[in-house]
Amino acid sequence: MRHYENLVIVKPTLTAEEIQASITAIEEIITSNGGEIATTNPMGMRKLAYPINKSERGYYHVIYYTVVPSAISEIERRFRINEELLRFVTIKYDTNREIAAWNYLVTKAKKSAEAPVKTETPVVDDKAPEAEVPATEAPAVEVPAVEAEAVATEEAEAK
Amino acid sequence: MSEKRKYKKRFCKYCEAKVDFMDYKDVAALRFSLSERYKIMPRRLTGNCKRHQDMITIVIKRARAAALVPYTVTRKTVVSAPFENLR
Repeated sequence: MRHYENLVIVKPTLTAEEIQASITAIEEIITSNGGEIATTNPMGMRKLAYPINKSERGYYHVIYYTVVPSAISEIERRFRINEELLRFVTIKYDTNREIAAWNYLVTKAKKSAEAPVKTETPVVDDKAPEAEVPATEAPAVEVPAVEAEAVATEEAEAK
Repeated sequence: MSEKRKYKKRFCKYCEAKVDFMDYKDVAALRFSLSERYKIMPRRLTGNCKRHQDMITIVIKRARAAALVPYTVTRKTVVSAPFENLR
């Protein structure tokens, strides 16, 4: 298993639900090829530095995952067929230093993914009676994170 | 050449900050090694060491492929605010 990162740019002309559907389809491509998604980082709609296929904007989404190196060609082939993608960039994290950077990026992405949850909880608290909801949500978010880290360390040990 | 005067004192900024890894998505960090027209600045002007210059060239080329940084800015393709995402 090798560490990879994929940045995909989805067409801006789609609606929000279609974008989410295409992103889940992209993640499905990776998991169906034996990949384990560590975390994802939606960068959101951004202006492109230069137009790609006449579109000025794009929805950026970053996926961190581990997969067998031989599966990458198949994943990229499927990405090329997908017409909803403007661009994809696959980055390989091979050396120990790069893997350390990969782990750092994953934890950073997880923190940024958890941060909006933290900002949402006070809003829920203001509404008062639903104070139990964040309490139940918070461990549910933490537990998979701990498991994923445990998996990452196990893989590192296996190597 | 105003650019030359700007980089008179030569030392590697990345060595000083002990940068081990650069992220191509962090566009603000790449700005130092890019010229006004988004060319990669040569080592003789920035004072980067060879190791970090090699790293930054790879990272900038990745960022260009991901449309985070423009390839070039010419008079025909002027980018009004190429780093507006940073604000």
